Amino acid sequence: MDVKFNNRDPVYVQVIRQFKEQIATGYFEPGQEIPSRRELANQLKINPNTAQRAYKEMEEQGLIFTEGKLPSRITKDEQVLKMVREELILEAVDTFVHSVRSINVPVQEALNLVKNKYDREMN
Amino acid sequence: MIEIKNVTKKFGRKKVLKDVSFTAKKGEITCLIGINGVGKTTIMKAIMALTPINSGEILIDGEKIHKGSYEKITFIPDTITMLPQMQIRDAFVFMADFYDCWNQGRATELLQFFKLKETDRISELSKGNTAKVNLILGLAMDVDYVLMDEPFSGIDIFSREQIADVFTSHLIEDRGVIITTHEINDIEHLIDKVVLLDNGVVLKEFDAEEVREKEGKSVIDVMREVYKA
Repeated sequence: MDVKFNNRDPVYVQVIRQFKEQIATGYFEPGQEIPSRRELANQLKINPNTAQRAYKEMEEQGLIFTEGKLPSRITKDEQVLKMVREELILEAVDTFVHSVRSINVPVQEALNLVKNKYDREMN
Repeated sequence: MIEIKNVTKKFGRKKVLKDVSFTAKKGEITCLIGINGVGKTTIMKAIMALTPINSGEILIDGEKIHKGSYEKITFIPDTITMLPQMQIRDAFVFMADFYDCWNQGRATELLQFFKLKETDRISELSKGNTAKVNLILGLAMDVDYVLMDEPFSGIDIFSREQIADVFTSHLIEDRGVIITTHEINDIEHLIDKVVLLDNGVVLKEFDAEEVREKEGKSVIDVMREVYKA
């Protein structure tokens, strides 16, 4: 995991986002074991307290779970996993819509451009 | 917790610390930021009782510093204090003689981490490697608090990264760290708390994540606001 953090968003929020992306893309599978807080801090070069906070938050959101003293794992809850993916897609769409609207692009034109770009990148 | 309460310090007529108060918790990295000459090093020396203060109080876990405190708190100055003709292993022996809390296992581990040899002579080390040895001497003590004076200054980027790595490892975890610096960039994501100093005065004390969360500002944004005001 190699992440470039920005300096203005809370680091723990950026860590959670990173996890969500990796869940959505399937890098993390449901039920997969994740690094310990200390390992994560060391991998990402962040403060162990921040790693701790990110994990706590993710537990509360149901993204990860911990049974007893065992390492934490990615949730197996289909509903949550689906929501993570949807959340990321909606966020990306929001950003896109926001920036094309600011230059007054009609929706059909924008959609065509998106489709063409997609087709080109797929090939 | 280290508590600095209303500390004032004069060198002759010059007041170098004016009513300085802040706290540094165990398990957290507290960063003292300020340009040269604002009193960062003086604060560290005052905490270690290496320089007398004129008024105010400094408490470590609720008590004033005493002889036994030096097994609980250590200071890593910005220059190495070992004799130049010593080999690294001689410096280790020296530390072991002096401190009960010296942890040779950890010293060896750190030496490997930094890829240094114990037969290297202090006087023949590069600036970056000298800084690393200096850091080892402090971190290999089983103390609760570590004070580091400018551990990154004048050191190449790879050594800086290596030193920053130490901060996220078990070598630091659970200890209370106070670090002084004027280059925050490398460690912005590593620190818990920031104390901004200017001219012997604490201008602002804040939690780095909290400022990002509540105000959407980086540590450098806050510094710009405070110092340019």
